[in-house]
This record gives sequence, C-alpha cells and structure tokens, in this order.
Amino acid sequence: MLLLLQEGQNMEIAVEMSGITMRFPAVLANDSVDFMVQRGEVHALVGENGAGKTTLMNILYGLYAPTAGQIKIWGKEQCFNSAVDAIRLGIGMVHQHFMLIPSLSIVDNISLGEEPRRGVVYRREEAVLRIKRLCAEYEISLDPQAVVSDVSLGTQQRIEIMKALYRQAEIIILDEPTAVLTPQEIDDLGVMLKKLKSMGKTIIIITHKLKEVIDFSDRVTVLRRGKIVSTVNTKDTTADEITTMMVGRSVHLGGNKTRITKGVEVLRLDHVHYHDGRIEKLKDVSLTIHSGEILGIAGIDNSGQKELTEVIAGVRKPDKGSITLNGQELTGKTISDIKEEGVGFIPQDRQISGLALGMSIQENLIMGYHRKTAYRSRKLLLDKAGIGRDADSKIKSFDIRPDHPEILARTLSGGNQQKIVVSREISNASQLIIADQPSRGVDIGATELIHQKLVEARNSGMAVLLVSLELDEVMLLSDRIAVIYDGQIMGVLDSETATREQIGLMMAGVKMEEGADSEK
Amino acid sequence: MKNKTKKSPIDWAKILSPVFIILIAILITSILILAIGCHPLEAYHYMLLGAFGSFGALINTISKMVPIAFAGLAVAISSRAGIFNIGLEGQLLFGGLGAALAGLYITGLPALIHIPVCLVAGMISGMLYALLPTILYVKKGVGLLVVHIMMNSIAKLLITYLVSVPFAGDNKMIAATNPVQDSARLPYLLTSPNKLTIGILIVITTACIMWFYLNKTTSGYELRACGDNMEAARFAGIKTKWYQAGVLLASGALAGLAGSVEVLGTYDRFYDGFSPGFGFDGIPIAMLANGNPFGVLVGAFLFGALRIGSLNMQIKAGVSTEIVSVIQGILITLISAQYILRFASNKLVNKQKGEVTQ
Amino acid sequence: MNGIIVAMLIAILRLSVPVIITGLGNMFSVRAGVMNLSAEGMMISGAFCAVLGSYFTGNPWVGVLCGILGGVIVGAIHSLISVEFGGIQNISGLGLNMLATGLTAFLCRSMFGTAFSPTVASIQYTRILSNIPVIGNVLAQLSPIFYIMILLFLICCFIVDKTVIGLRMNAVGFHPQMVETAGIDVWKLKHISVLICGALAGLSGAYLSIGQLNTFMDSMTMGKGMLAVIAVQMGKQKPQRTVIIALIFGFFDALQLRIQISSIAIAPELVQTIPYLVGIIALALDTSKNAAPRLLNPYLKNKYKF
Repeated sequence: MLLLLQEGQNMEIAVEMSGITMRFPAVLANDSVDFMVQRGEVHALVGENGAGKTTLMNILYGLYAPTAGQIKIWGKEQCFNSAVDAIRLGIGMVHQHFMLIPSLSIVDNISLGEEPRRGVVYRREEAVLRIKRLCAEYEISLDPQAVVSDVSLGTQQRIEIMKALYRQAEIIILDEPTAVLTPQEIDDLGVMLKKLKSMGKTIIIITHKLKEVIDFSDRVTVLRRGKIVSTVNTKDTTADEITTMMVGRSVHLGGNKTRITKGVEVLRLDHVHYHDGRIEKLKDVSLTIHSGEILGIAGIDNSGQKELTEVIAGVRKPDKGSITLNGQELTGKTISDIKEEGVGFIPQDRQISGLALGMSIQENLIMGYHRKTAYRSRKLLLDKAGIGRDADSKIKSFDIRPDHPEILARTLSGGNQQKIVVSREISNASQLIIADQPSRGVDIGATELIHQKLVEARNSGMAVLLVSLELDEVMLLSDRIAVIYDGQIMGVLDSETATREQIGLMMAGVKMEEGADSEK
Repeated sequence: MKNKTKKSPIDWAKILSPVFIILIAILITSILILAIGCHPLEAYHYMLLGAFGSFGALINTISKMVPIAFAGLAVAISSRAGIFNIGLEGQLLFGGLGAALAGLYITGLPALIHIPVCLVAGMISGMLYALLPTILYVKKGVGLLVVHIMMNSIAKLLITYLVSVPFAGDNKMIAATNPVQDSARLPYLLTSPNKLTIGILIVITTACIMWFYLNKTTSGYELRACGDNMEAARFAGIKTKWYQAGVLLASGALAGLAGSVEVLGTYDRFYDGFSPGFGFDGIPIAMLANGNPFGVLVGAFLFGALRIGSLNMQIKAGVSTEIVSVIQGILITLISAQYILRFASNKLVNKQKGEVTQ
Repeated sequence: MNGIIVAMLIAILRLSVPVIITGLGNMFSVRAGVMNLSAEGMMISGAFCAVLGSYFTGNPWVGVLCGILGGVIVGAIHSLISVEFGGIQNISGLGLNMLATGLTAFLCRSMFGTAFSPTVASIQYTRILSNIPVIGNVLAQLSPIFYIMILLFLICCFIVDKTVIGLRMNAVGFHPQMVETAGIDVWKLKHISVLICGALAGLSGAYLSIGQLNTFMDSMTMGKGMLAVIAVQMGKQKPQRTVIIALIFGFFDALQLRIQISSIAIAPELVQTIPYLVGIIALALDTSKNAAPRLLNPYLKNKYKF
C-alpha cells in the first residue's frame, strides 16, 4: 500500500494514543493512557481481566468514542466515528470471539462490508478471485466457497486475519488470539505472525498469556486497572516481572498443595456415551478420581468438557455407561439428589447457569441448597435470619465485595460473582467438586483465592475435577491430567512428569501410546 | 471489625420509570382527545366525577376493580416465573361460562357450598382452556404469545356459539344463558347506594396469599429463581418445567376466577360480551407493578376507575369508551421501552448525585 | 362443479393476498433480527388510513398511498422502540397491535359514529384486463393490488438473493456484532427492514379495506397479521416458502367462507375459528428447529449502555 507522505505524517510511528480516557457510567475503563506502536513491530498489550486492554483497542478500531484523548495514525491525528474510519486508515481487528456467521460461506463473511458490486448486485465471483490471490500471496490456505460452520477453529482464525488483509490493513490488532488454539496451532500462528511482519505489517496482540508475550512480541505494554504501568522491550524482562506489573504485587497461584497419599476411588466413569442432537459429544469415556486428588481435564474448547461435567452433575443424562460415586450409581438421579450426595458443581458460565443476577447475594448463596433444613423455619418457609448469618460467614471467608448480603448479584464484578458460586458449591460439597473453568473472566486476585480454596478442599480429602482451557492452570493445580479431544479421553498423565508437548499432541488428537498410561 | 455497609441503595430507576410511563400516557391521551375536537381537562373532569364523584361512584369503581385485579394477578404470577400469559381473555370467558353452568345445573346445594363449587368450576374451566397452549409451550417449545392471541380470538367465537345454541337462555332477545340459581350468586357487602359483592374480599385475600407465597415460602423462592434465570434454576435442581406448566395453569385458573366472580357477582347470568377486555387490562397493570401483588391491586383500582369513569366521559364529554383500549395499547407500548426510560431516569438520578465515583 | 373450482381458486387468490404481502414484509424484518408481532397493528392502521384517504379525496389510489403510510408509521414506532432504544420486541409489537386496533376503532367511532366507516371508492377489480380473451373475465375479478403483489414477490426474491443490501440485512439478523465490526451501520439496516415491513403490511391493510371491500370495519384484520408471522417462521424467512404457506392459509380461509355460504349446517362462529385453528396447528407442527437461529434480541448502541 502506497502511503503518500502528508503534512505532519510520521512513517515510523504507526499508532500513537495520547491521554485516552474512557469513562462508562459504572466504571473508568481507561485512565489517561499513552500508548505507542512503532512500524513493523509486534507489540503485546497485557493486563488482567478488566484492566482495560480490549476497551483501548475497541477505541482504536472505532467502536467506542473515547471520553478524552487523541489518536494519531502514522503521525496524523484522526477522528473515529465508527469501524469504517478505522478500516479506511488500514486498521484491522481480529476479535477474541470470532466475528463470523457460521451459516454463510467464507467469501460472504470476508467480503461483507466491502462487497464487490455492480449497482445493487453483489458480484460474489470477484470476491472469490481476490481472496484466492491474497491466499497465495500470504501463504494461507482457505477455500472461499466453504461454509464457516464446517471449518476448524484454527481455519476460522485465518479467515479473520484474511478479513483484515482483504481490506488492505497495515496495522492488525489480535485480541486474545491463542485462547482457543492447541499448542501446535499456537506455533502455526507464530509462523503466520512472522510472515506478516516480513510483509511490513504492524501487529498489536492483546493477551494475558505470558508465554505468547515472551515468544512473539518485540515490546510489551502493561495495563493495570485502566492505567499504563510501563512499556518495556520484551527481551529485557521476564514473565514473573510482567505478572507483578499486571497485578501490583507478587502473586502466588496454585494454592499450597500438601503431599498426601492418594485416597480411595470416589468417582468412576465407565464407558460413558452422550450425544446432543445428532452429534456425539462423549465417546466411550472412562475416568476415575480419588479422594485428596485434583484431576485436571485439558483440551481445546468444545471437546466435550461441558458435557462431561454436566453429565456427572446430572444436568444431562448419558446414553450409555455408568457413573458411580463411592459405589453408588449416579446416572438416573436428579440434580438435587446428586447435590445431596455431596457433589458440588461450578458450571462453565456463571451468568447463564450459576447465578440469578436479579436476586440478592444471599439468595444466590443458597440456590440449589435452599431446601436444606438449615435454611428453613417451618416445613415450607425460608428462614431469613439463618440465611443471612450463613451469607455473612461465606462473604467473609471468600472476601466477596461489596459485602452487603442483600445487594443484587448483578452489581458485582465477574470475579466476585464467581466467588459466590465457588463459595456456595465448595461449602456444600462433601465428596466431589466439579469446577468448569473456574477462573475464566476472573481477575488474578480472585483467581488466587479460588485456587487456594480448591486446593484446601483437596488437601482435606475431597476429590476435585478441574476443567480449564488454560494449560498452565491445569498443570499447576492437578495431580493427574486427562486430555480430552473430540469427546474422547486421549490419555491420562501424572502431572509431575507430563510435558507440554505430550499434552499438546493429545489436545490435537494424537492418542497416547499404550503402556504410557499412568493409571495405577 | 465488621464493616456493615449501608442498606442497599434505593433503585430510583425502578420507581421512576412507571411514573414516567403513566405521565407520558396521559400526555398522549390528551393529545388524542384534542385531535377529535374535545377538551382534555373537561374530559378528565367528567371521568374523575364518574369514578369518584360520589360514594356510589366509588363503590362502582371498587366493584369494577375486582375482575381486573384477578386478571392482573394472573399475569403477575406468570411473570414472576418469567413467562407471560396473555391468553387471559379467553380463559376468563370460559371461566365465567363454567361458573355460570355450575350455577345453573347443579341443584339442591346451600349457598355456602354452591358458591365455592361454582368458583372452583370457573377456575377449572379457565385452567382447561389454558391447557393446550401450555402443553405446546412446555413440551414442544411453541411460542406462547402467538398461540394465546389465536386462542383469545377462538374463545370469543366459541363462547358466542355456546351461548346462542347449546346453552342459550329462554329469553331469545338477549345473547345469554338462563339466570343462575340464587344459591350461586355472590352475597353482597353493600347494596346501596350501589352493589358491592364479596368479590373484593376474595381478591384482596388472593393478593395476600400470593405475596406470602412468593416471598416467604421455599416454593415461591424457586418460582422467583425460574423467573430470574431459568437455566440457573435448572442447574440448581429446581424442576423448571413443572413450574412453567404450573404457573401457566394457575394463571389460567385465576383468569377463570376473574370471569366467575364477575358473572356470579355483577350479573345473574352469563351475558355474551360481558367482558369489555378485562383480560387485556391485566397485562399493563401487572407489568407496571413488576409482578408485585399489592401493586396489582393499586393498578386495578386505577383501571377500574378508568373504566367506570370513561362511561361518564362518553356521555358528558363525547369521548368514546374505546379510549380505554387505546390507553391499554399506549401503556404496553411504553412499557416495552422501559429500558430507555430506566436509562434516562438513571442519568437523571446520577446528574443529581454528581459524577459517578470510581 | 367446474364453476365451484374456479370460484374457489379465485377465492384462494383473493384471500391470500393480505397474508402474502404482510408475510413478505415481515420476512425482511425477521431476517434482520427484529421480531414483529405488530404486523396486525400495521395492517389495521393501513386499512383505516386507506379508507380515510379514499374518503377525503375520492381517489382509491391516494387511499392506497395513505394505507402504506399508515403501516410505515406503526413500523417507525416499533423500530424506534425495539431497534433504537433496545426495547422488548415482543411486547412492543403486542402493545402497538392493541394501540392500533384501539386507536382505529376509537377514531372510527369518533369520526363516523359507528364501528363501520361509510363506503368509499375502492379498487376491487381490474377492468382493463377483461379485454384479454378467454381468461380475461377471471383476471378482471382480482384487484390491481394482486398484480402489484406478484411484482413485489419478484422484487423481494431479487433483493434477497442477488443484492448487497439483501446480504447485509440477512447477516445482521444472525450476528449484528459481526456486521458492526465490518463497518456497517447495523441500526440503519434494521430500521430499513422494519419500515419495509410497515409499508408492505400497510399496503396489505389497504387491500383489506379498499381492495376486497369498500369500507373499514372495526378489527377487520381477523388474525391475518399473526398468520403472516407464522408463515414467515415456518417458511424459514425465505420468500418462496413463505408465499406457499400463506397460500395454504388462504385455502382454509376460502374454505370456511364457502362452508358458511353453502347449505352445510354448522354454526358460523365454529366455522370462523378454522383459520385460527389452522394457525395453531401450523405452529405445533413446525419442527423448523433452526440450525441457524436469528438473533431476535435488542442490540444496543454503546451510548445507551449503563
């Protein structure tokens, strides 16, 4: 793309954001942020959940108008009214949750907004040609006529990048690009980024995964609570240093695991099958968990983890196979019965399945256990005083803020909302805790506490099933690690000896060789 | 040291938006009255006179409020569970017919037993008419709104047929059944200056029972959880399908009760067309009251006043009684926009408080 | 026998027109992700405005334009509330239905004193076609609006399949956020789709009052707007399927009229329930569990979030 040098243009500074402030009615997302990206570099923007990184980039992409501050692109000040302006200036954004319409073809998804046309008529064939040319130029493989719902997540990400290239973007923003990729796909992404860089593109990556920061970026900027902490050269810093900058103090994730001998078998799954509609989600799954043990489930998103946790908790009924808790058959029991057997369940999406946002904190703290005698006065009535006392103790022990039990759950932050669910389930469970992505969308402080509580439960003899998309979390917390791919258990490893590569291969579908199984 | 923070802040937005809605509705109605060449203030004057002008008028208003309150409670209970029953009008008509038939054909019972029997018959009729949409919704996921709207239209036609052919009264000049037996008629609290039956006591009791159920019992808690987040309630082990079906049927029963109380109280037989749209009055009332049973009573009182007053308004100021349907429509349309009204009132409240602090 | 079949066919065509036209309009609205239960209100508004237009000018074509305008006004309110202000679509639709029905009834009584308007100039027949040999007499019995409808159908198919705006309106119903990030004004697209729906439903209402008859009656839409909503849902928002289902509804409507005027001894009210029952049965049978569901929720502008 030829850029004619205009008055005041500076070809070395791709993006310069000065004094950017973004004030929402309830929160100050960005506070006087100064952010600068040089031409041709890969710049990582890091911070924990809620630090303001995505907001800052949404402003750069024209989706939000900042409350104050100015933006210069290539040295010239610009005003953004919508994404159209950003696209026109050569900025492209690949969002964390893909902006793709599954039922439409790849070519329609890419060309939407820039459709080649003759009058009102849409000339799809021209778009197909253009995409094929770009694919050859950037060494990406895509079939424009395919339908998006038929292709893999890695391919979908390539479609997203192609969208930016189709619009001749020179500055590409990637928001949490590795969240849904296997370790191998992450390596492929690294290769792609190198290629883009060699073609002269400037890249900004938003991430909270430090491995990617160290591996891919040239410089890194850290945000904390909406303010810039600092900008450093990647080779001059370490992951721990960056974490401390992100949180403001040194953080210890992973709880304190004590050395305990593995206890008796608590949960056993035998040849469990489950299908949802016409798709088989769990194929012949067999697992065991013992008391005093954390079994971590690693795998890319949508490999059957959700169905696995829900089948154990009784939310879904398996088609075949058996699930036993301490020898007692769970399949066929109702959700309440299973809870009564001592199984706690922290579901994957707290806002959809875990909380009633319009009800108070204390009403949420009893949900699922509200029939317990502790909460009742006479047979049918609720004991408000008793519920209140219980809520106060839970709020204290899990540091839920704000700490008034009668305010609505809706007003709490993601981390505090999750703490409600976690405190409820851990307090009431006695045999097994199922935790599905317990730290997703949760700030580091709350994550630290949740890890601590899960490990405490394990230390005291409970069995814990942990599902997470963050491989680091799984490796940190688990005693044993099972990898799930496409509804099947690829293998189970001892966490002390497992390597990233081993797990990565299994996450991508390569089954572990027989005999290497650590199931003893 | 325990830091007991202050009581949860009053949600001003929640209180202001119904007030906004009513004010805007009054404004639009006034413009409409002007448009047809009448004077709004004069019209309102006659309306208020008709509703509250004398003790007799007040009695009439209270009397009129009864079926509307039942309809409102019917919508309220379903809305607390997160579903809307708008098929009230049809259920109300069938309920009234059921009660009338029980009052006609069951003989030899003393009033003390006959009246409850008739009311129960009415409730069951209303519930039965709600059965088909309920099954379609709970079992097959068919959208309730459209089915209920169809059912309402069907009900009007069926009732007209039933009253003019199989159950027609001996008096062929009017479209009605025969008069019910005396033992089925609701006793009066007052007979002069105007009639007021015990219907008002029944509806207030029902509201109290509903309030108690929702806020104090375990089952009421489960219902409210369903209303807030059906999926989370399911994960918590609450039997959501039972509550959905149960609340829709209970709602139908209450609508049936509305029809029964009106037929056995205000009239002495089932007249075709006795309901000018009570079922539809219940909807905006329950929405404005946010499902609170006592709020529904207040709203029903206001609507009763509207209905009685509009008769006087038509005679004295020449404004057709159809205006009540218009007001229903305005209210419901405005209620749907409540998000933006809450946004506006939130902004207003924050302006008063100064900038939002971190 | 032959005569009855021809009469039935003409009746089906005549009676399907309102549901087809409203269905096509509703199709655009739902495609763009806006549920429109106010179709009935748009139709009755169109019916009344059409009569007013014809009444005051004596020209039925002015009436048609007024009818379209009447539908557009209702559509504009619905769009303002549901699209712009993030309101609850179903309740807005319902409320506008009641409002339009009540308002037209109120105005009719206030202006004309009864529930019927006086008769006005209408366009029930297309006399120029009667010159065509053989079928001319049959063709002439259909209103010009019928022929406009055929043209509209072809235009709708063209827009949906071949145009850029058709692609965009379709995309916005699946994933408005995606369309926004592509730099397109999501709200403008939605507004346009609802206004198109209003215009078509208004035209359909005009047909009811001055294309089939020559007067306005209180509540004359008789559930046809709802049937159009059902037709769009069952037809998976595709124009061809929507029209077929609308024709099936038209068949049952023609059937119930024929039964009423024949010598079969069933009470008229029972027969009149047939179209509504067919609607409910259609919904019950509708197993179109969409693999690609439309996002029928409000999509808020950032400036309205709090």
